[in-house]
Parts: sequence; C-alpha cells; structure tokens
Amino acid sequence: MTSVPIRITVNDRLHELLPGHDFEVGTTLAALLRERLGLTGLKVSCDEGACGACTVIMDGKAVLSCMVLAIEADGHRITTIEGLPADHPVIEAFVEQSEPGYGTAMQCGYCTPGFVMTAVALLEQNPRPTLAEVRVSLSGNICRCGCYAGIAQAVLHASEKLAARGGAL
Amino acid sequence: MKTPFQPRIARKHVGQYRPRIDAFEKATGRAQYADDLANKRSMPDLCYAKVLHSPYPRARIRSIDDRKALALPGVLGILRYDELEVAGLKPTNAGWTDGVDTRSYDAMDWPHYRDRRVLGDYACWVGDEVGAMVAAETEAIAEEALRLLRVDWEVLPFVLDAEEAILPGAPLLHPEIAPDNVLPDEELGGPTRFIDRGDVEAAFAAAPVVVEGSSVGHNPTQASLDPWCCVVEWRGDRLTLWSNSYAADQSRMHLSQMLDLPIAKVRVVSPYVGGQFGRGDTGEQPFFIFTALLARKLGRPVKFKHTRRESFHDGRQQASYTARASAENDGTITAMEFKAIGNAGAYADHTIAALKTVPSEIVEVSLAHIPNLRFEARGVYTNKMPACMMRGIGNCQINFILGLMVDLLAERLRMDPIELVIKNFGHEWEALPDKSLSIVLRTGAERIGWQERRHPPGRGPIFARTRRRGVGFSFHPGWHAEWQEERRGEVEVAMTLNPDGSVLLDAATVETGTGSNTCNVLSCAEALDFLGVSPADIGWTAIIDTDVSAKDCVQTDSAVAYLQSEVMAVAAGELRQKLLERVAAQFDAGPADLDVAGGRIFRRDEPDAGKTVREALMAGPLLPICVRLSRPPLTERTGVPYMATFAEVEVDTDTGRVQVLHMAVVNDCGTVMYPSGAESQQIGGQAMGLGEALTEEIVYDKPSGRPLNFNWIDYTIPTMLDVPDIDPVLLEVWRGGGEYGACGIGEGAVTCAPRAILNAVYNAIGVRIDELPLKPEKVLVALGKGR
Repeated sequence: MTSVPIRITVNDRLHELLPGHDFEVGTTLAALLRERLGLTGLKVSCDEGACGACTVIMDGKAVLSCMVLAIEADGHRITTIEGLPADHPVIEAFVEQSEPGYGTAMQCGYCTPGFVMTAVALLEQNPRPTLAEVRVSLSGNICRCGCYAGIAQAVLHASEKLAARGGAL
Repeated sequence: MKTPFQPRIARKHVGQYRPRIDAFEKATGRAQYADDLANKRSMPDLCYAKVLHSPYPRARIRSIDDRKALALPGVLGILRYDELEVAGLKPTNAGWTDGVDTRSYDAMDWPHYRDRRVLGDYACWVGDEVGAMVAAETEAIAEEALRLLRVDWEVLPFVLDAEEAILPGAPLLHPEIAPDNVLPDEELGGPTRFIDRGDVEAAFAAAPVVVEGSSVGHNPTQASLDPWCCVVEWRGDRLTLWSNSYAADQSRMHLSQMLDLPIAKVRVVSPYVGGQFGRGDTGEQPFFIFTALLARKLGRPVKFKHTRRESFHDGRQQASYTARASAENDGTITAMEFKAIGNAGAYADHTIAALKTVPSEIVEVSLAHIPNLRFEARGVYTNKMPACMMRGIGNCQINFILGLMVDLLAERLRMDPIELVIKNFGHEWEALPDKSLSIVLRTGAERIGWQERRHPPGRGPIFARTRRRGVGFSFHPGWHAEWQEERRGEVEVAMTLNPDGSVLLDAATVETGTGSNTCNVLSCAEALDFLGVSPADIGWTAIIDTDVSAKDCVQTDSAVAYLQSEVMAVAAGELRQKLLERVAAQFDAGPADLDVAGGRIFRRDEPDAGKTVREALMAGPLLPICVRLSRPPLTERTGVPYMATFAEVEVDTDTGRVQVLHMAVVNDCGTVMYPSGAESQQIGGQAMGLGEALTEEIVYDKPSGRPLNFNWIDYTIPTMLDVPDIDPVLLEVWRGGGEYGACGIGEGAVTCAPRAILNAVYNAIGVRIDELPLKPEKVLVALGKGR
C-alpha cells in the first residue's frame, strides 16, 4: 500500500507527514501535535472528549484534538497555544486576573491552554459576549481547581482588551 | 461588585491582590508537567510501559504466559511478579509515602497495615496493578502486548459493602492483617471507641431533648487533570525519577529504601503538577518502583502514564455515620455520640486517619466544650477502589454528620442553628462564645441573606410553580494552624543574595496549583524588604530537583502557604547579619554599628550617608551570601480559626433537580498571605464540594464488582454552568504564632459544601435526605414521587 503525505498547517507552518511513517492511522491530532511536533502546551487529560484540555483551533473553530484523528486534519489550519502571541488579549487577561472576589484564572494550570483556546475561538465569533454566553461557551472545559469565576472574568476582560485594540485578535 | 478583603496589618507584599507568579507560564502553555518532559522527540531511546490491571475484584494469579506478548514486534521486555527482585520487595503502604514529612520505612505511619505488594500476584479490586509490566516502543504496542498476556486467574469471592464485609463468612482481603476485615486498633488512631468522655448514656437519659440522625457518604475521587506519570532513567547505578508526585524528598527516600540504593544514587525531579487534591499515594509508590525495575532491566528510560480510566485510583473513604445528640431546653448541648463505619476499599492507606485521627482533632478544636462525648469508628477492607487522602480527608465525612446534628437539634429546640453553634462550639483554649466562629457565622449569614431567606422547612416561597428555595450552612475549624503541623518536622528554606542585589529563593515545594509558590515569593520580598527588593527581583524555580533543591515542604494540610514564610522571616535576620558582617570594613565599623533599610547600608551615626546594597556588595569579593535554615513548626498552642459555607438552593419538586443558586464561603485565615490565591481556593473548593454533594459518584456493578464509570462522561465533574456565583469572604480575626500567624485554607475549602447544600435542600422542601450524592431520583423518592 502506498500512502500519500498529509499536509497540515500548524501555527502558520506547513507540515507534510506520512501516515504509517510519521504517525499511525489511529494517531489523534493531540498525540501528533504533542509527540511528533513537540507542541506540549495542549494537554491530554481525559483523551475522550470530556474535559477540553486538548482544545486547539482548527479553521477558526475550537476542536478537541483528542477527538480528531491526525489524518482528518489533512488540509486544515491548526492553531495551538504556542501559536498565540504572548500579548494576545486572552493570554494577558488570564495572566492578570486577580480582581478581588473572583480569584485567579488558573491554579494548577493544566486546563489553562484549553480554556485559552476555547476563549479565543469564542471571541473570534462573538467579540463582546455576555457572562451567560461565556459560561455556555466554556462549559465543555473542566477546571478541577474550580477557577470558573476567575476564568469567566478573564474572558470578559479579554473582550474589553480586544475592543480597546480595535477589535482585531 | 465584590468586596475586597481588608488586612489587619497593611504589608507591602503579603496580603496584596495580584497575579500568580506562574500565571504567564501557565497561560502560554509553557509550564511543563511530567508528561511534557519526556517523549520520543526529546528522549529518543524512551520506551513506554503499561501495567496489567486486574479485571476481577479479587483474584490471584496462578501463572502468566508471556510468550506471545514478547514476540510482538516493538515489545522490549516484561517485568513479572515472579522475578526475584520483584517478589523480594518489602510490603508497603501509604504511611510513609503520603505523609507530611519524609519518613523511613521503619518509621512509617500505620506499620500494622503493610498490605500492598509491588506488582504482586494478588488483586484486591478491579483495576489493581498486578502481575506484569510491559515496555514497548509505543504506548499502543505496550497496550496490545498486555492483551496478549495469557493470565491464569484464580477468581476469588469478593465483597463491596463495608456492612457486608464485617459479617461472618465474608471473603477476607488481608486476613493476616485484619482477620475480620476490620482494620485492627493501633497506636495512632486508638481503639474502636477512640473518644469516651463523661457519661454519654446518663446525659442522654437526663436530657429533655435528644435527636438521632444518620448520614451516608460516598467515594468521590480527586480527578486531577494531570494523570499520574513518571519517567525513570538509570545512568550506571544512579536513578533519576521525573514524576508528578507532590513530594520530591519523600519519593527519594522511598525509592532509596525500596530499591536499597544510597540516597546519593537517587535523584527525583518534580515539575509543575496538574492538580493534586490529595491524590498522594495509592499508585505511585508501587509504580515508581516497578517502572524503575523495568528501566534497569531494559537499560533504557521508561515512561509510565495512567490513562484517564487508570487515573481512577484512589478517593475519599465512604463513611456511614449514626449519631445522637442531646441538649437542655436553653440550647446547651449536653452529649454527642458518633458511630462510623468506613469503607477503606482494597488497601488501608490513611483510612484510620480519616475515621479516627481527624475526628479527634475536631473534638479538640470544635467540640471541646461538649461535656459528654463518644466516638466510635471501624475501617473495613472491601474490594472497592482504595480510599486514601482526598482533599478534606476525614473532615468532609465528620462535617457531613455534625452539620446534620446541629440542624436537627436546632429544629427541635426552635433555635436558629447559627445561635446553637455559637453557644456550644469552640476549642479548648477559650471560653465560649468563640470570637472567630461568631464573626465567621454572622458574616456568612449576612452575605447569604440568612434572615430574609431562611424559613420553616418546606414553607418558603414557590418559584415557577414547582421550585422551592432554601438556605443552609455548615461550619468547620480551619486547618492547619502551625502548632498542628508539629509532626511535619523541619521546614527548610534557602536564600541567596547575589552581589548585584538580586535574590534567589529556594523555598522548595511542588507546585500543584495551590499558589504557595506565589506566597513564598511575596513573603520573601516582605522579609527582605530591607534590601529594597520587589517580588520581580526574586528568582525562584518551579522545578524541584533533589540534587540541588532544599528539602521540599510537602503539599499537604494546606499549610505550605505560610510554613516556609515563617522560616523565611527568621532566615532574613540571618541574611541581614551576614550582609552587615561582609561589608562592615567598607564603613570602618562593626556590623552592630551598621543598619540596612530600603536597599541602603549606612552607619547608624550617619544615617544620611551610606551606599546601596549593590554598591557595597559589588565592591567586595563578589561571592553570594547564602542562608539555608530549617526549623520545626512552632508548637505554641494558639487554637484555630473557623470557616463556613452558606448555600442557597432551588429544588424542582417535579424533576428532583437541585440547583445551587448562590454560595458564600467565609474563612478566618489569621493572616491572608495571598488573597487572590486564597479566593481561588475558596471558590474552587466549593466547586469540588458541589460535585461531591450533587453529581460525582463511582458506581459499581454489584454482580461483577466492576466500577462502571471510570471516565469523565459518566463521572460528572461540575463545569462553569454548574457552579453558581460564589462570594468568597476572607477574614483576619484569630491569630496564630510566629510572624504571620496564618492558617491553611485550601484543603478545608471543600469540607462544608455538601452539608451546607443538603441542609439548604431540607430548608427548601422540608424532607431530609442525608445520602450523597443528592441526585434527582433521591429527591423524588423523598418527596414520595418515585420508588
């Protein structure tokens, strides 16, 4: 059987990868990104689509990379946490969150890259979400440390930062 | 708009709202966890290991035929239970690998309960790691090889319920330790009736009011996002372990003593850990050892990581309590009695700490003024997932029944339960009422709207035709104050002042998310304020490496946030003295003639002259000034502060759904070291407690003994939509010893939520349900709407 390479653009860089050589047909996108490309920012926590820790952005939409096969990403554009600039409004807002009464936006930090990517995708589609919309949009991500109040505040503040920067992410 | 906490003493750094020091690393995905440290890309000769899990709740391995597995391409080797270096390992338990301090094998807690074999042939629950470990080039191949092992199991009878396990004829799990499945009495926990004060029976007979109650807990699990992971590499006869254990020095001692290696031949590295919650032990001590043995056998580094299913590995002791309480008509409680039966699961671990040690502590710091008191507890082996040290160990269980007895008594006495608590509870150092407890409860009552929202049970207003609302609370002593940490032993910190005036802090503690690293940097800046340093001038590391780090302060008892800070406060004085000695000659003076403040060194008789610290040090021998200090915790018995959770719920009487509308959580901390972190602990603790109260539960198939929901689809952890608005309130009323006199907060934060929620449900619907978790079907049955 001959196989043809898949072409995936990850953080604006094109990768050509050969099934059966660079990865197995059953390899998930999460495993490919972490093990093959060394992008360990995303975390594999449940590996069954229940927690959101492995969230990346595929063609503008948040996807659970543990539920996408590497081969399914052929021809698509992927952004991982490593692909965001350090001054990205969502990252800045997560870092800064310490507003009295809400706690910080992370404790152990294992879920944080997933929450950040989900929030980025949300703000791309809805730059000024309400608190209720934030809560619905981020309800697929689990933070076992329970920093939900801080995370929601961070997303609202990211939205404000975004508006202050003229709306471009 | 939330109300910020107001510190009792304004300090420059400690007590300030601010971002976490590790927030940037974490928000950018740059923080590295055990699983991120080693893969084929970074360590090309790495191999992956998988271990056999018992499919039976109780079984013994007669033999394993591993020829097919070994023949599978990509399989590198197998470590077996019957190899001499495996079979010859000492039996062990959690009593020395999951404690507050490094222990030797001989000095472990619970020495009578050495019930664990490393990769043994005897399985005691579905999921027990036994028999064989396979290493392969990929995880998938290792998993396939496990399936090719032909295991001849001797399937044995099993028992899941503690009540059934103590009946005559029940299958015995560890008969050499517990001939009737009941964990035998030992020194640390005491006898079955471990507290018997006054004359309980006489008090009950004489009292005008006596109430009885019972509660049934369950076995939630820590569910850390970061699955257990370790990598072991040998270089010659020297071993390095990278892992997400919460203890580095303790792990080093454990590896050294189990593998008979000099401590100098063992290096343990602990990076960031993705959540701990007491997931201390029940897996890692065995799997560190068998991973190490397999790596030595292969001569290659080996990585072992749990899947999510395998991460269901330990949890909370399921405890059932029955209790009685009596009071005079004026609300003076005259007697209380509590009887517990606790399900230890397959191994004893810290079950007796949960059932006896913790309640004894509560007696000392909450029930000190109840004249007649009796506690009995039995821990029982069963073939369920073992219970160990989950966040709030023992405290959650005892709070759940104590809060019920308070509510029952108050109702019978027609008293406000808040007044009943203030009238009766406190620690043995002070007369009642306790100031901390009173202020905590009155503050919580105000924040939740207790007076307006509390009503006779089931008599509140109805919303949307079928929904009833109610409020409830529960209180608990904070833990731990410094004197309660005596058993921790020495706490060590090291500070280095560089010639340019910058500082390196080595306050080693594994960063599991608690924020104690931020506390440490803030208190270092506070203690070294005379140098004029800010937190940004302080170098710190998230990686603990036993080759170079100070001894790490184990992330238990929520005490790390201030224990190392207290030592730093002392170490700073030593550093100051060394600095003045170093530069004295430059000032033609003795150290006693000099002072240093705001980053300037000057002669006391010429306060306006002088040099900056940097100028003085750079003019000297360019040698850093190092202070390394260890000190045992202060033992002055200062009592403890209190905390409480208040909850408002809405119960849909048509569907049985319980929705928590609002929570207020109040903690008297003594000193709030880092308010942003403390609030995160308060809020996060309610999220976890809410899950324990309403949704999280491990369900077993009774005929097969198999757990059915070892996944996060069916084991339901609260999400952002489930957690209501939470009002975190930080207070400084009580004060402990030392510079800060703080008290832990994180572990306790989870304690009160289930009882607060269930008392609120009773207030809403007027029917008591005292079995966790409170799922809709239980509500409907209680309301007479289902079977």
